[in-house]
Amino acid sequence: MCGIIGCAGRDGETLDVLVHGLSKLEYRGYDSAGVALAGSDLDVCKTAGEIDDLRAALEERSPSGSVGIGHTRWSTHGPPTDENAHPHLDCNREVAVVHNGIIENYQALRDELSTAGHEFRSDTDTEVVPHLIEDALADGADPEEAVREAIARLEGSYAVSVVMSGVDRIFAARNDSPLVLGIDDEAYYLASDVPAFRDHTDRVIYLADGEFAVVDADGYRVTTLDGEPVEKTVDTVDWDPEETGKSGYDHFMLKEIHEQPRALRQCLRGRVDELAGQVDLADLGDLSPRGIHLVACGTSYHAAVYAAQLFQQAGIPAQAFLASEYATSPPPIGDALVIGVTQSGETADTLSALREARKRGARTLAVTNTVGSTAARECDHAMYIRAGPEIGVAATKTFSSQIAALNLLALAITSVGDAREVISGLRDLPGAVQEILDTSTARKIAEAYRDAESYFFIGRGLHYPVALEGALKMKEITYKHAEGFAAGELKHGPLALVTQDTPVFAIVTGDDEQATKTVGNVKEVEARDAPVVAVTDGASDVERYADHVLEVPDTHRRVAAVVANVQLQLVAYHTADMLGRSIDKPRNLAKSVTVE
Amino acid sequence: MSVSTAVVLAAGEGTRLRPLTRNRPKPMLPAANRPILEHVFDALVDAGMDELVCVVGYKHDRVQDHFGPSYRDVPVQYVRQHKQLGSGHALLQARAAVDGPPLVVNGDRLIESSMVEAVAEGFERHGPRAALAVMEHPDAGQYGAVVLENDALTEIIEKPTTGEYRLINAGIYAFDAGIFDEIADTPRSAGELALTDTIARLADREQVRGIRCEGMWVDATYPWDLLTVARTVLARGKVDVSQREEGVWVHDDARVHDDATLRSPVVVGPDSEIGPGAVVGPDAALGYNVTVGANVTVERTVLDADARVDAGSVLIDTVTGQDVDVGAGSVVPGGQADVRVGNEVFEDQRLGAVLADRVTAEGDVSVDPGTLVGPSAHLHTGAHVRGQIPDGAEVMR
Repeated sequence: MCGIIGCAGRDGETLDVLVHGLSKLEYRGYDSAGVALAGSDLDVCKTAGEIDDLRAALEERSPSGSVGIGHTRWSTHGPPTDENAHPHLDCNREVAVVHNGIIENYQALRDELSTAGHEFRSDTDTEVVPHLIEDALADGADPEEAVREAIARLEGSYAVSVVMSGVDRIFAARNDSPLVLGIDDEAYYLASDVPAFRDHTDRVIYLADGEFAVVDADGYRVTTLDGEPVEKTVDTVDWDPEETGKSGYDHFMLKEIHEQPRALRQCLRGRVDELAGQVDLADLGDLSPRGIHLVACGTSYHAAVYAAQLFQQAGIPAQAFLASEYATSPPPIGDALVIGVTQSGETADTLSALREARKRGARTLAVTNTVGSTAARECDHAMYIRAGPEIGVAATKTFSSQIAALNLLALAITSVGDAREVISGLRDLPGAVQEILDTSTARKIAEAYRDAESYFFIGRGLHYPVALEGALKMKEITYKHAEGFAAGELKHGPLALVTQDTPVFAIVTGDDEQATKTVGNVKEVEARDAPVVAVTDGASDVERYADHVLEVPDTHRRVAAVVANVQLQLVAYHTADMLGRSIDKPRNLAKSVTVE
Repeated sequence: MSVSTAVVLAAGEGTRLRPLTRNRPKPMLPAANRPILEHVFDALVDAGMDELVCVVGYKHDRVQDHFGPSYRDVPVQYVRQHKQLGSGHALLQARAAVDGPPLVVNGDRLIESSMVEAVAEGFERHGPRAALAVMEHPDAGQYGAVVLENDALTEIIEKPTTGEYRLINAGIYAFDAGIFDEIADTPRSAGELALTDTIARLADREQVRGIRCEGMWVDATYPWDLLTVARTVLARGKVDVSQREEGVWVHDDARVHDDATLRSPVVVGPDSEIGPGAVVGPDAALGYNVTVGANVTVERTVLDADARVDAGSVLIDTVTGQDVDVGAGSVVPGGQADVRVGNEVFEDQRLGAVLADRVTAEGDVSVDPGTLVGPSAHLHTGAHVRGQIPDGAEVMR
């Protein structure tokens, strides 16, 4: 999991462009960073730590060159150290390589190269690449040919960029890891993701797996790895680069929590007609699936668990799977539609599960936030959640938008009797979330329980995935132990962990059988003296057994899950804030995980 | 030096607009179908400002959430005023965010870009240290009145009690960068720093130029003024959605049933839906995601975002907050009435009702003219209300 940037044609500004691009890619990793600039020489600077540490290291020297590459790292092979930071070099320090992905046959290559006398300085898989190039150059290949030969030997996933001393070109290739070209009038860029160069240009080319690009100040050329020319189309992206600013908030996470009403409106825009009780997702065509498998990871998996229930309620056999499990031990797929839920559209585990499904002949649908992402391009269909860029590592607004989008999908491909009611509920959602933002007392709850060692979250039905998500947010940004359970499951084991020091968050809305049963589970918890925080609309009598209440408005039950989740987002945020955690970049985590 | 950074003062609540300001500051209240502040930002961007610094305070997140980090490709920076200690104090908070001479405007009044341009140009050409827009106004006594001698400001006085004034301070200023020191040197009065006090000190030194302006200048003092504001905005066509026919603006992402009638002037915001048989307008403004059910009548009314009006209801001369829910068959007949705000009575105001944020009227509710319903009040089926209904009240039949 890493971010790559490259730039040609910005003579004199190359370094600034690279460092700025890296700062926009920090969400992909931030435990070490580096740059390499090439012209007549090769100049490399790299360091463990965040981009600011790289900036500090660069203050003592200012590498220059007509082309350059940069990297921000999230460790997979070897700890975050100066040596393991990219770019990696060959023995002669004339070839510099940055890489995102995992080279699966690196050990064999490394053994072979070591035996041949190459000296390795790092623990990374990446370092085999510059040495392979060095060998090819020594055998008389020209620079481009040498890079092609080296790439051809790699197995696994990679987006790679290469510069060399005395060569004013960048060579790049991808397989299973994202790589985008940016096209400006007299400058060209390469990056793992568009925001890295979006301040300079909005014209982009998405490279496909197995493609190879050569970029210099005069232009770009895309071929297959074997050198066959490939015609590429130039797309225009319409993101506002400044959406990546925090607009006055201390953290992206809080900004993004507050953006939810707007994000939800964008998700629904033009897709619903309440008065007619219809949903319009015409661009998806006729899906009419007999069964549905949802594959996803992390927060997206919780949205998938929620969605599986919607499809089941509509009579379609549906199940949510963890993508990493599905990829390696898939169930019988039959003629099920396989839906990958992935914010970035680049999550390696989810891509891998979708590929496995395709290999078995299944139709696939990507539900994603990222236009042009690998998932969107590889699947038969794509549905966009339109949440806008999300920078905070802990997903917030994209969860809400995923839920809204999956509701639309369920309405579009199933025929439920109460479509009008559901649409009405969805259209009330932005206002209901705004009500939480205006009235939430989550900070008080955080104040009361910030010192707890452990937190439990319980819910039933559509609130079960909310319990899972509430716990995940808490884990991710507070570093505290937190678990979510199906409310009925608590008594089958986890209740043994419940004490007076373990706050239990219970999500209970409405007054139906599910609510009544969850209230019963709350009583079990209360009897063990655990503090109870009820997230409720007040319809049941759960408040009688709760120490604190987080109120949510009375809404459609499908919508109540989203609204309740916003309260839990705020509890996690405020707890982490009071504990002084690195909220937007929690330790050990990266925004989109592009390794399996 | 040219003026290209605008500081917008948007930190105050606007207490006289309660109960509409419960969840957001006055600049975020609707001028027709979008916030007052959006019109102010438009005027600034149209006048060529390339950087906006917005001073926020009361319910600041609502401003930040709405605009985000940029507006029409112009970067917006937010500066917090933690305590609302006057307009001078507010401007002082922006000191670190501004290089060069700032243009300063109040964020809670509708202005036109021509006025901003005139002030910036007048300041650039003539200086000396400050320029401010002045306008003729019949009610100068209600605002900040000013006196000019040969374009030089000689007097500035807040809400004068005598009626001899006819020019007002329009709240658009340009200053040299020394303004921050001048404010810091101005003695506080009752703990507050008013920008006009600093301007008065500069005027004593003959350092302020008055720039005479004309055009739209609209201020909402009380909740029912939002009806006048909406009418003015519609009359001038200051609407950001596409025009279907003369005076009928419907956003591309709104749905209007073929059997609904839109009477000019009227604006329907994005994501809104209007059902069959509904009659909307004249002088009706619907914000985003508003739902108007079948056979509803909406006349001379502002329906703010997420409002929902169910079948057969009638809303005339009404201002709603956000997320208001009016059940079927409810009636606000409109007309003139005496409106009581606290202990003050405003006679013969044209006001059907003010329904603040998240008011729920279950259905068959009737509301007498001049009624103010507080946020989240719940009017049960068949209730008949008048006067002032407090926040969160439950009103039974």
